Amino acid sequence: MTKKIHLISTVLSLPLLALAACTPSTPSASTSPAAEKQSVGVVLDTGGENDKSFNEYTIKGAKAGADAAGLGFAYVASAGSSDYEKNIETQISEGADLIVTVGFLMGDATAAMAKKYPDTKFVIIDYAYAPGAEGVDPYTTELKNVTSLMFAEDQAGYLAGVLAGCVSEAGKVATVSGMEIPPVQRYVQGFQAGAKSVNPSIVTLNQYIPDFNDPATGKSVGQSFISQGADIIFAVGGNTGNGGLLAAKEAGKMGIGVDVDQYLTYPEVKDSLLTSATKNIDVATTNAIQEFAAGQLKPGIELATIASGGVGLAPYHDAESKVSQECKAKVTSAQAAIKADPKITGVK
Amino acid sequence: MADVKQKPFITIGRQLITPLLAIATAMLITVPIIGFTLNWDWAKVAVTYGGLLDGALFKQYAFANTLVSAIPLMFTGLALALGFRTGVFNIGASGQFLMGATCAVFVGYAIPLPPLIHPLVALIAGAIGGGLWGAIPGFLKARFGSHEVINTIMLNYLAFFLQDWLVKNPMKDPSPTIVRTPEILATAIIPRFYDRLHWGLAIALMAAYGVGWLLSKTTFGFELRTVGSSPEAARYAGMKIGRLTVLSLTLSGALAGLGGAVQILGVDRAMPVLYSSDYGFDAIPVALLGQNQPIGVLLAAVLFGALRNGSDVMQLRSGGAVSKEVIFIVQAVILLFVAAPAIVRWIYRLKLPKSQLETAPLTRGWG
Repeated sequence: MTKKIHLISTVLSLPLLALAACTPSTPSASTSPAAEKQSVGVVLDTGGENDKSFNEYTIKGAKAGADAAGLGFAYVASAGSSDYEKNIETQISEGADLIVTVGFLMGDATAAMAKKYPDTKFVIIDYAYAPGAEGVDPYTTELKNVTSLMFAEDQAGYLAGVLAGCVSEAGKVATVSGMEIPPVQRYVQGFQAGAKSVNPSIVTLNQYIPDFNDPATGKSVGQSFISQGADIIFAVGGNTGNGGLLAAKEAGKMGIGVDVDQYLTYPEVKDSLLTSATKNIDVATTNAIQEFAAGQLKPGIELATIASGGVGLAPYHDAESKVSQECKAKVTSAQAAIKADPKITGVK
Repeated sequence: MADVKQKPFITIGRQLITPLLAIATAMLITVPIIGFTLNWDWAKVAVTYGGLLDGALFKQYAFANTLVSAIPLMFTGLALALGFRTGVFNIGASGQFLMGATCAVFVGYAIPLPPLIHPLVALIAGAIGGGLWGAIPGFLKARFGSHEVINTIMLNYLAFFLQDWLVKNPMKDPSPTIVRTPEILATAIIPRFYDRLHWGLAIALMAAYGVGWLLSKTTFGFELRTVGSSPEAARYAGMKIGRLTVLSLTLSGALAGLGGAVQILGVDRAMPVLYSSDYGFDAIPVALLGQNQPIGVLLAAVLFGALRNGSDVMQLRSGGAVSKEVIFIVQAVILLFVAAPAIVRWIYRLKLPKSQLETAPLTRGWG
């Protein structure tokens, strides 16, 4: 059995030997000459590149932006949450000058790496850092190299509300919502304000469901709203909201999708989909990368609005004929009204 | 060990030959695939493989990162290997890993304790959490004869949704947007000693030594192995089969749970929703490739960690043309070959050594 012990001690010492061997070797690739073209590195969360949502549209937008500005482009998908920091670091050491991360799950990792690599620029999608303990804006202190791309969900929600309020015959519209977090709240408040702007007596129903991946509850909430008389369901909660869209389809009512054009990503309900309130993640990402290429990317929160093309409504697709010209005109004039005065959505 | 009397080097050589050929064959199979993706541009192919090697081993901090990725696989791999050696197929390492992580993160952030004691208590909590999660299918098997493969898979889902609920409700950090538990207290952290590499590595090595010692050097381990290889003989010898079955799944679960605890305390320091738990499934090829020997499991885990890290750089260096998923082909082929060594022997015309007609079956069949 002594051979066993020998083996064990060999194995024990292997990593140390290898470490010693590795330390002084290969200088990292980040010190590439300035003449080389700059490069954009995207790090995805665990959703992967074909999630029909944030990850997919971030890649699409980043690639378009990098191609247009003549920058290099590469992305890495994360196998697990333990890998976020490592993957960001890998991108940097492989020569990325701008890191784009898909927010929400990656907020902590992005902040940690932004502090560690102050010379690299970071863009994080849909995640904003809250002010510190004394109200200090983190973007002016330790996160000077970070830009958060945020979306005016209230504006997209407002347009959806205008449409729903105009199309609704019952005078009752509902939102099936995910977790009660700021972006979802903004959608809902904007939607309700929009619906009331075209029909002051309209009844709005809403239910937050503390989960983005619970279509069963979403469906039963949607069914309960329909039984209370609602004839338009705005689904603001990822997969949970999809349950609400399904409930609308099965009851012969209409639904409105969220975040991306769900006519394309959730074709099962396309017959009963009026439109989707979208965050144009690809457009916002492309814009940010072009600003970076022009040296104009500023730290802080960059808000994508109707005016910037960053939020809006998706095409009507099959509902084109179902929506009256009058309602379409009301949506168009609401767009102009928001551009003139963003405060009409009732959200700061 | 059945084959102790043979000359040691021949034995080791024989044990190594199947896994090494499996790895080599799997890597060879990727050559035409990567070549095809890159339009047979061999310069690019070389750069791509260079990326794999660089990312796995040679870049700055690459080997440290490889070890960091390997550590959770070492624990779950040991859990599976212990199971295989004692006749249970524990597919529930994912769930046990998750329960261990959950218990450890709770101790880590909610219970203030002095340094050194704090991580120790959190590790023990993780092992208990994983162990209990393993004991359930063990009890169901011993008491009702229901197969552990079914029950451990079921418990994976239970663990997954229990963790999901806990992190979204009682364990949620009150900070506004990110859904995760609070960070563990500074006293509970397993420190890092080289870039991201943390002392969990030492714990994994100790665990491997412990498993080897338990199985080879103790009466209890002998009993466990006997129940695994020949339950009838064990029964005839008066061993308490039911108790031993529960214990082997408990120990297996405890190892996986310990892995979850180490990952939380050493790497993540807080637990988000959708906390990664692939480690339980990757553990199956890791254990099989390691021939269910502790040292083999450690080396196989390092290989899988290297593939996982190298593949990122491989994808980047190929300009995105070669997807990192190529390494899943490598892993799958390795799994195929080590699970059916006859294929490797047939390809390479190896003779089956006379002395060993594949010792004890990995697991007993159904019923």
